[in-house]
Amino acid sequence: MLTIKTMQSNPDEMTSQGDPGVVRPKNELDKQRPLDGSFLRLNESTFSTLSAMSVLGVLSACGSDVADELAMPLPAPSTAINRLDLLTSNAPNGSSPGSLPAHISLRVDVSSVAATSASTAPVSTTDANALFNWAEQQYPSLFPGVKANLTTSSYVYRYYPETKNYLGVGVSGSTVGNVYVLGPLSDGVLALVGTLQGFACQVSGGACTLTSANDAARFLSQATLGFTRADLNNLSQTTISQWLDAQFAQPTSISYFSWLINNGYDSSGFENSTAGMDNVVWKKLISSPDVLRQKMVQVFSEIWVVSVLGINASWRQFSVANYLDVLEANVFGNFRTLIEQITMTPAMSYYLTYQGNVKTNPTTGSEPDENYARELMQLFTIGLLNLNNDGSLQLVNGAPVQTYSQNDVSGLARVFTGWSVDTHGLTAPYGPIYQQRPLVQVSSKYETGAKTFLGVTIPAGTTAAQSLKIALDTVFNHPNTAPFVCRQLIQKLVTSNPSAGYINRVANVFINNGNSVRGDLKAVIKAILMDPEARDLSLAQQSNSFGKVREPIVRFLCWARAFNANSATDAWAIGDVSSAGSALGQSPMRSPTVFNFYRPGYVPPNSALSSAGLVAPELQLSDETTVAAYVNYMQKAIAGSGVGDLKADYSLLQAIASNSNALLAELNTLLACGEIDAQTLTNFKVALDTISVTTSAGVMNRIYAALTLVLACPQFIVQK
Amino acid sequence: MNRYIQMMDNNQSRRSFLKTTAALSLARSAAPLAMSLASMGEASALTAPAGDYKALVCVFLYGGNDYANTLIPYDQSSYNAYQSFRSNLAISKVFLDPTVLNPITPLPGGQQYALAPELAALMPRFNSGALSVLLNIGTLVEPITKAKYASGNANLPPKLFSHNDQQSYWQSSSPEGASSGWGGRMGDLFQAGNAGGSAFTCIGLNGNAVYLSGQTTFQYQLTTAGAVPFNAVNSSLFGSTSASAALKAVLNTPRTHLLENEYLNVTQRSMNAYSSVNQAFSKSTLSTSFPLANSLGDQLQAVAKLISVRASLGVKRQVFFVSLGGFDNHTLLAKVHPGLMQTLGDAMSAFYQATVDLGVANQVTTFTASDFGRTLLSNSDGSDHGWGSMHFMLGGAVKGQSFIGTPPVLANNGPDDVGQGRLLPQLSVDQLAATLGNWFGVSAQDQLSVLPNLKNFTLKDLGNLSAT
Repeated sequence: MLTIKTMQSNPDEMTSQGDPGVVRPKNELDKQRPLDGSFLRLNESTFSTLSAMSVLGVLSACGSDVADELAMPLPAPSTAINRLDLLTSNAPNGSSPGSLPAHISLRVDVSSVAATSASTAPVSTTDANALFNWAEQQYPSLFPGVKANLTTSSYVYRYYPETKNYLGVGVSGSTVGNVYVLGPLSDGVLALVGTLQGFACQVSGGACTLTSANDAARFLSQATLGFTRADLNNLSQTTISQWLDAQFAQPTSISYFSWLINNGYDSSGFENSTAGMDNVVWKKLISSPDVLRQKMVQVFSEIWVVSVLGINASWRQFSVANYLDVLEANVFGNFRTLIEQITMTPAMSYYLTYQGNVKTNPTTGSEPDENYARELMQLFTIGLLNLNNDGSLQLVNGAPVQTYSQNDVSGLARVFTGWSVDTHGLTAPYGPIYQQRPLVQVSSKYETGAKTFLGVTIPAGTTAAQSLKIALDTVFNHPNTAPFVCRQLIQKLVTSNPSAGYINRVANVFINNGNSVRGDLKAVIKAILMDPEARDLSLAQQSNSFGKVREPIVRFLCWARAFNANSATDAWAIGDVSSAGSALGQSPMRSPTVFNFYRPGYVPPNSALSSAGLVAPELQLSDETTVAAYVNYMQKAIAGSGVGDLKADYSLLQAIASNSNALLAELNTLLACGEIDAQTLTNFKVALDTISVTTSAGVMNRIYAALTLVLACPQFIVQK
Repeated sequence: MNRYIQMMDNNQSRRSFLKTTAALSLARSAAPLAMSLASMGEASALTAPAGDYKALVCVFLYGGNDYANTLIPYDQSSYNAYQSFRSNLAISKVFLDPTVLNPITPLPGGQQYALAPELAALMPRFNSGALSVLLNIGTLVEPITKAKYASGNANLPPKLFSHNDQQSYWQSSSPEGASSGWGGRMGDLFQAGNAGGSAFTCIGLNGNAVYLSGQTTFQYQLTTAGAVPFNAVNSSLFGSTSASAALKAVLNTPRTHLLENEYLNVTQRSMNAYSSVNQAFSKSTLSTSFPLANSLGDQLQAVAKLISVRASLGVKRQVFFVSLGGFDNHTLLAKVHPGLMQTLGDAMSAFYQATVDLGVANQVTTFTASDFGRTLLSNSDGSDHGWGSMHFMLGGAVKGQSFIGTPPVLANNGPDDVGQGRLLPQLSVDQLAATLGNWFGVSAQDQLSVLPNLKNFTLKDLGNLSAT
């Protein structure tokens, strides 16, 4: 038995991970457990090399990433060092194959998988070959050429003498289906890098199906705001790639703006209210059939935050409506276009106060408003500290480096002057239409002087439009933007604490979609959802921190969408559910500040999570009042109380309610992705059986009770 | 982290404190929270001196309060400078006459300040000696000069001018992601003397704030109407007591998944504390009138109610956190800020009156805090993110009718600002916290653990709180 002392976490050695501002212990999984004969024939120098690499953040959480038996031959020890550059390079150009192999950094999160096997099903040689061929094509610098399969009793593998690397798949015992690498690229250590199943989507380019209901439910949890039994069944008929392409091709439903007008919210009595906003937002979030687009709109609305509470103008419900229409039009487009389109919305210009922003006044000393310049950089594009492409902090002499200074803010603020809402041809009091028009320039307010920020100087005399283009190009092309934005998107869709490798892989796609296009959001969404870290259920199941807390409005939407909740009168009068004591403590488009309802870097203080150096963004909304209020609210909502005329369709549940096991199994799948354990289900079943179903009222009571139990259950609260 | 705990353990005052409360600690650890709450309440009511109670109340102004329109330079020469730097935001001098502050010890050189006119409710508090004004206070790692700042070699709080990070730094001495705050760390030292340990030591009224979390003390949140009942476990679930019991059981079963378990921890605190809190809350006979339609007043009224039932809850030291948002006035400052001042002044004044009515004015100290100050110079109709600011301390123990610190020079890139009147703080949050801590009973040694930057400051007590 060996104990890898050199890999234990040293509390004095800290390295950065992901979100600027969060400094985490480098060994986040903190395993420190002895390994059973795992590291055969490894010597001390190997360990010290590993330790050095850990400091560099490559194997930042390497734990017991080994198999129970080592059958593959080892490379010569002397070759173990000179791939450090290969493994640590934070490839600025994602198109450079082999610059940062996917499965190397995946090690960060698979370490805990080693203790048990991922699968006991026999391994198909076809699958193994597909993986080998894919790896040779994707990472020729690691696995050059096309090699023949070699086998032992435990592995099928290929050896690459040029690089002295091995790539293998376990075929017997506890290693079945596991994917391993060995050689210089893994520092001479047999490293578990994932499972065949986990790589399947990437290897097949998305031509993979989700065969188990729980796998499919998990995918839909990540990709939608809630799903029905029919959605789940449909997904099993298609591949992930086909499903995504179909979603990308889905037309938008009625625009937010049009719905408000069609429903009379443009009548003059509503000029200075928010009337209609909650209604149309709920309608879209609950019932619009373009499920992936709705998910991405909800996600971006919490990154590029606009809140109706901070729009000081008439027709602010229309202002928000137009903003959401612009998001709908761009979440499957290019990030550069998205930035510009959002910047030109009246909603953002009011919310971050560059509407009517005036150039420097040498007489009064008045300077341009800095609000948008600062938050565009801090929150929307580059963040506060220089990042590597994998989201980790760049350190200079051990210290992080700020992306911008106050001077950069002041310089960039000069770009956002002179922009104003467009009221041409309108007579006051204006109707809502001006909230739909892109901003226009008022030259008397525009700062024509030079503007210096982020190492760029826009010369004096440059037009407002050209200045805007240069400014937005600058933040779009900043090296921080890909990891900064991709990390947050992964956090919203899949997991609060993605590995550096996951961020790096997605950021590389942001940088280059494969056709030399930067900022292709479809490609980024695909990369996030098809990544082995998102798709490998075994990784998630064996981690004690993978996944994310579902935020309260998403929990509500999961229920509403699962049962086709509908407003028969099309009123969608669910209203503002911001109350922390009596509703969800969070309501769409009503964030208290531009910092959203919760921060991507939020760490619950004084918790096991803070000790482990993990963030839990959505838990910022969980306190002793909101956790109770949430269940109270759902308990009423599921029974049709307090949500206007919103009514769920429980017909499928009514058909099975006489069998509590069947009822719970269905809810477990549709809401909790099958995460509720057997013992808990048994306890619930016994309790539900006490509710008689001899009357229709009894049937409904059993359904309501079952729903409350599942919706309150921690296995539902946390999406794995 | 480890180092911090070691320092705490080596500390004599804490050890002796723990020793005296050992019986309570043992009883607490052996009994479920709800049971111990009841027994502890009785135990501490019997053993604690009746008057042994102190509370700190942090009033956080989210968004970064505009200092120049909160505390307005009033003597003619200062006012002229103020007026010239923000002509479009400046409050007319004539409106300031009723709120001119006349401190016991006048400021040098005839300098004068007036409160924002809408803070008029605080005038009697200042004049009666219950209100002290802190001049140019902000987040610092160490004392700083303009020259040092300009050199680029100063040891500065990270991520200056950033809302979330400076909020966190104010509350915890660390940017976003901090795992504890100094209110909570003070709570750590005293929770053993409270019934139920940390349960009601650090209380918030408006959502999670790192300020209230200690290393062992949890923050507890409630609404202005008290704790929120957990209906599904408090009564039958759609007619089934079994279903309710099954839910309660699953919510009390620990999970190995860290996210799940943390959610459960909060849920369990919610379920366990509800009845104790609301029973106590309902006993409050607080009769002080609070301003209507004032969200900060509502929160402070709830704090006053909780203080009024401190004996029922069995608590001797408490830290409270209330907050008001909307201070990020990049625009419409002249229109919006006065209303915020009205809310603030009315709420704080009423709360002080409540402490007088409850006979605990000397035992409750309230102070304001905010992300940062703002620029003195205006943009077209607001001000931008700054650093140092003006703040208030209020309470019977405050040596009030006073200014603490030095009036900053009003300038655009002058000796006391880093451009556009963004003040370079001359007093640090740590000095304020240590002053409050001294009064609260935190030993000098513990102060250094609770406030990691305090060691860098020679002056460790601002001297404007009476030891009681």
